[in-house]
Amino acid sequence: MIANEATTKRGKPQTKHSFYPAWCKRCGNCVAFCPVGILVSDEWGYPRQVDKERCTGCGLCEMLCPDFAITVGYEKPGAVDLAHPASALDSPEVTQEKSDAAKAASNISPERLAPVPREEK
Amino acid sequence: MTAVHRSVVYDWLRHDKKFPHVWCPGCGLGILLGSLVRSLAQGGYDKNQVVLVSGIGCSGRLPVYVDVGSVHTTHGRALTFATGIKLAKPELKVIVVMGDGDATAIGGNHLIHAARRNLDLTAIIVNNLTYGMTGGQYSPTTPLGAKATTAPYGHSEPSFDISALTVTAGASFVARSTVYHVTQLDQMLGQAIAKKGFGVVEVLSPCHTNYGRQNRLGSQVEMMKGYKKQAVRVDRWEKMSPADREDRFPIGVLADHERPTFLETYQGAVDRAQAIRKEG
Repeated sequence: MIANEATTKRGKPQTKHSFYPAWCKRCGNCVAFCPVGILVSDEWGYPRQVDKERCTGCGLCEMLCPDFAITVGYEKPGAVDLAHPASALDSPEVTQEKSDAAKAASNISPERLAPVPREEK
Repeated sequence: MTAVHRSVVYDWLRHDKKFPHVWCPGCGLGILLGSLVRSLAQGGYDKNQVVLVSGIGCSGRLPVYVDVGSVHTTHGRALTFATGIKLAKPELKVIVVMGDGDATAIGGNHLIHAARRNLDLTAIIVNNLTYGMTGGQYSPTTPLGAKATTAPYGHSEPSFDISALTVTAGASFVARSTVYHVTQLDQMLGQAIAKKGFGVVEVLSPCHTNYGRQNRLGSQVEMMKGYKKQAVRVDRWEKMSPADREDRFPIGVLADHERPTFLETYQGAVDRAQAIRKEG
C-alpha cells in the first residue's frame, strides 16, 4: 500500500506514513503543528500529506495526535497512506470499518454517522 | 538506554476497549496517554509491574485504555487507594493519574499529605483549569477573573499553583510540562516514574470544550499555541523580572532532591520495635 523506494530531497529513504481514519476525530492538531507544514485538511477535515519529499520524519504529528490515528515509520493494520488519494477514505473496507467503530462507540443510527463537511471559518 | 520506537503505544493499549476513546476531539489527555505509555516502555517496565490508579473526571478514563493493572477509584481518593496498593506490594510501580479538581479540591488533603509522607508514588496531575467533565465549573486552579459556568462574571478567587504547593509540601520530584511540549513531557514522566519518592508531574492540558469556549480561547490548537507562548524554561524563568513573569509559567524540573521515603522510615520504626522486643 505504501511505497518505500522513494527518497526525500536530501536523498534519505522516505519515511512511511500511515493514517488510521477509523480513530481520527478530525481535531486538526497534526495539520496545525506540522513543523514543515506539509499536512492539510481535506474537505472532511481529515489530514492529508501534500509534499511527501519535504517530510523530515520528526514524528510530531504522531505524538500530538490524541487518537493514535497517525503513525510515522511503521504501518498499523487497517491504515491508509497519509498522502492518500481522495478515494482511499471512501473505499468500502475503510467506510465499513469506520461505521463499525462508530456503531460500537454509540448506538446512534447509521444515517447520522455520515461525515459532515466542515464549514470554512 | 535504548530508544523505544513509538509503535510501542499500540502494544500497551487495550484494543478490546472502545476506540476511538471518549475524550473530545483534540483533548490533551490522548497526548498524555501516548506520552505515559512511551515513558513506561522507555523505562523498561513490565506491564505486570505497573499499576495505574485514577480518580473521577475525564482523566479517570485514562488507565482504562492501558493494558496494565488499573484501578478507577472514587472522587479525590486515587492517592489513598494508591497508598494502600504501594504499602501492600512495594515492588509495584504505582502511578496515579488525577485531574486538577481531583487532586487539589476533593483530594487536596491527600495530595499534601502524600507529598509530606514522601511515599514512592508518581502523581500525574492533569491541569485543565476547570471541571471539564461536569460542564466547566470553576476549580481551585481556575485563574482569577476567568469565566466558568459557576462564575459567569469572572472568578473571584486566586488559583492554586499545584507545583509550588507540592514542592512546599515536600515531594521529592516536581516537574511541570504541557501537552504541547510532548517530547519534554516524555522525559519528565520518565524521570518522575524512575524517581524514588513522591514524584509529581503537573501537565497542562487544554479543555477547549468548556474552559476554552467560555473564555473565548478558541480551539485546542489556539490553546496549545498559547502554551507555547506562555511556557518558559525554568532556568530562564529564574532570571526573569516579576513584570516579565506576568501571564507566564515555568516548565521543567522544579524540584529534585533525595529524602527518605515513607517505606524506609516505616521500616526503621519496625526495626526499632523488634529490637526492643528482643531485648525485653
